[in-house]
Amino acid sequence: MAAENTKVLYGLYNDEEDLKSAVKTAGKDHMDIMDVFTPFPVHGLDPVLGLKESRLHYLGFVYGAIGALFGFGAMTWIFTSDWPTIFGGKPYWSVPAFIPITFEMTVLFSAWGMTLTFYTICGMWPGVKNKTLDNRITDDKFCIAFDVTNAAENDVDNIKGFFNRTGAAEINLKTL
Amino acid sequence: MNLNTQFVFEGKLKRNLVIGMVIGAICLAWSLVGDDEYRTRFWTNWLHNSVFFTGIAFMAMFFLSAQITAFAGWNSVVKRVWEAMSQFMWVGLILMGVIVAGVWGHFHHLYHWNDPNVNITNPDGPHFDEILAGKKGFLNPMFFTLGTIGFLAIWYFWAYKLRQVSVAQDTQETPSFDYHKKQRKWAASFLPLGGFLSTVFLWQSVMSVDPHWYSTMFAWYSMVSVWLGAISMTVMLIIFLKSKGYLEYVTRDHLHDIGKFLFGISVFWTYLWFDQFMLIWYANNGEETIYFKERMDHYPVLFWGNLLLNFVTPFLILMRNDTKRKFGTMFFVAAIVFFGHWWDFFGMIKPGARIAAHEATMLVEENKNGGTHSDTTTGIDHDASTGHEEPATETAHVAEAHADTAAHASEIMHTENATEAEHSEPGHTEAAEASTVHTDHADAGHADATHGEAAHGEHGDGGHHGDKSFKMGFTVPGIQELGVMIGFLSLFLFFFFNQLSKVSLVPLRDPYLEESLHHDTGTNIDGERQLDGDESGHDHGHH
Repeated sequence: MAAENTKVLYGLYNDEEDLKSAVKTAGKDHMDIMDVFTPFPVHGLDPVLGLKESRLHYLGFVYGAIGALFGFGAMTWIFTSDWPTIFGGKPYWSVPAFIPITFEMTVLFSAWGMTLTFYTICGMWPGVKNKTLDNRITDDKFCIAFDVTNAAENDVDNIKGFFNRTGAAEINLKTL
Repeated sequence: MNLNTQFVFEGKLKRNLVIGMVIGAICLAWSLVGDDEYRTRFWTNWLHNSVFFTGIAFMAMFFLSAQITAFAGWNSVVKRVWEAMSQFMWVGLILMGVIVAGVWGHFHHLYHWNDPNVNITNPDGPHFDEILAGKKGFLNPMFFTLGTIGFLAIWYFWAYKLRQVSVAQDTQETPSFDYHKKQRKWAASFLPLGGFLSTVFLWQSVMSVDPHWYSTMFAWYSMVSVWLGAISMTVMLIIFLKSKGYLEYVTRDHLHDIGKFLFGISVFWTYLWFDQFMLIWYANNGEETIYFKERMDHYPVLFWGNLLLNFVTPFLILMRNDTKRKFGTMFFVAAIVFFGHWWDFFGMIKPGARIAAHEATMLVEENKNGGTHSDTTTGIDHDASTGHEEPATETAHVAEAHADTAAHASEIMHTENATEAEHSEPGHTEAAEASTVHTDHADAGHADATHGEAAHGEHGDGGHHGDKSFKMGFTVPGIQELGVMIGFLSLFLFFFFNQLSKVSLVPLRDPYLEESLHHDTGTNIDGERQLDGDESGHDHGHH
């Protein structure tokens, strides 16, 4: 979440390959990138940004395991003690018949759990309004953003020079 | 990085593979020692490995065709491996040809439907097998020939043409889509040919080992099994070739994607395994259920080991991202999955062939005795089939058939120990009681649990399927079986390396080659910032 009155200097690129090589150049020059925005997931961007592997899927496993146990446990309880019923001449506790539902519960819990966790981490809830740097980054532009709120004049020039060298199509300054 | 490399099939590797083939031949001959009168162990070993390795070649072709049709670009650098694998169908034609010759010449007894002692023509005669009579339009030597080597010949022709176009592409001056378009025609037309015909191929060659049984899921299930055989073999071959200094441009990213296939298709296989099981378990029709009942009761190592090798292992190990990117781990999992699907086919063929041999012996014996016995071998299946049409009379039939079977069982079980023979008695009484009780509400049909149990007991204890005791080479693979696998594997690899050495290891003028060389899954396992564009070629510019 950007703080009040963050000044952001950002460059827009037309191609994801330009963006990737620019991010690499920035890394070599030890420039401090605030964020990178792309309209779609760009393969190979994570390693050049130095992003760590997400831990979300660990939670996905945990949610899935909970779903499996819940589904299987619920069916076991319902069909053996709460309301024992014979279906198709099978025993009350017929494991093969429980497996499809256990599987579905695993997927359901895992998917919902991961989605809700992801929303929570990103602060995305109904009613929350996030500021967008530029609408075109959801369409066809690839953006590198620098936080220049407390940057000195020559630092800003430095960043502009970087954008020009790496082939940015546009350079803009915006206060959020 | 030199792309224009060619595999050199060295003398040392050749020698090792020839040694492997000799081991296979010795073990194949060894499996004749102590074999039964129909040489069931020998012939099942032959059939098992022929189908498995031919299936791998077929699936390499199918997989490659699917990728070409889907405009896949990542695979260019490994394409030649699949092309070379698919050419083994030519050898498969000979291997399966031996089985076909045996069906005509009656020198093996893998298929009960081909037994001349089975009566499938005269409903009033002795041992009339109504089920096989109904299937004779399909289960006959003519159709078998067409359904196995006929279809294989068609597939091989397609594989040959696809590879021919791919090799011709190398002579182009600059990459263009001319040859690729031709390849797509062969690939796209192969998909329906392979998809539909492979089902018939498997019904004929594998499912008809249990000729009274059928499963609508069978072709899916067993085809996916050989698909995993093909994928795991690809993984092992790529890692082997890399260790020899070839395929340096095949990176962890390519391996990662093949690893996803290995993981995903393993889960798909499990889904089909369970699907087949559950449909049959739920419906509980005697003639279908017996297949699983037999395997769960008398072949538990085969049955449960199958799931352990082919589901639990790849699922737990390959679930994580990074395991799919490690050469050592991938080789380990691929080796297990490869063995696992060989094991899977073992379990499909061996128990059924053992029953077929037993049934053949029974028929010969009964013919000697003038056919005075009731039709024990076929009575139950017969009964099950009529049961579908007349559920009300079914129970009476079952009870009758059961009495016959049990009587017969006590005769044939005299070789086994006394306790077992004693056991069969109370079992019999119980089952008969269950059947009697059942007559009161016959309209419940098979749906009733008690009835299901009775039917099971009958199948299980009635001696219908003969000797169930432990038998090396049937209950679990013995040394001979492993040796035969090594032999067939060596044959496969010899042919594969020979084919691979004939052309460039990379389709040099493939229009997707650039994409493949820069293939990137976008995975960052180490969490380290990679700025130098290392092995994955992150630093490429525009095309």
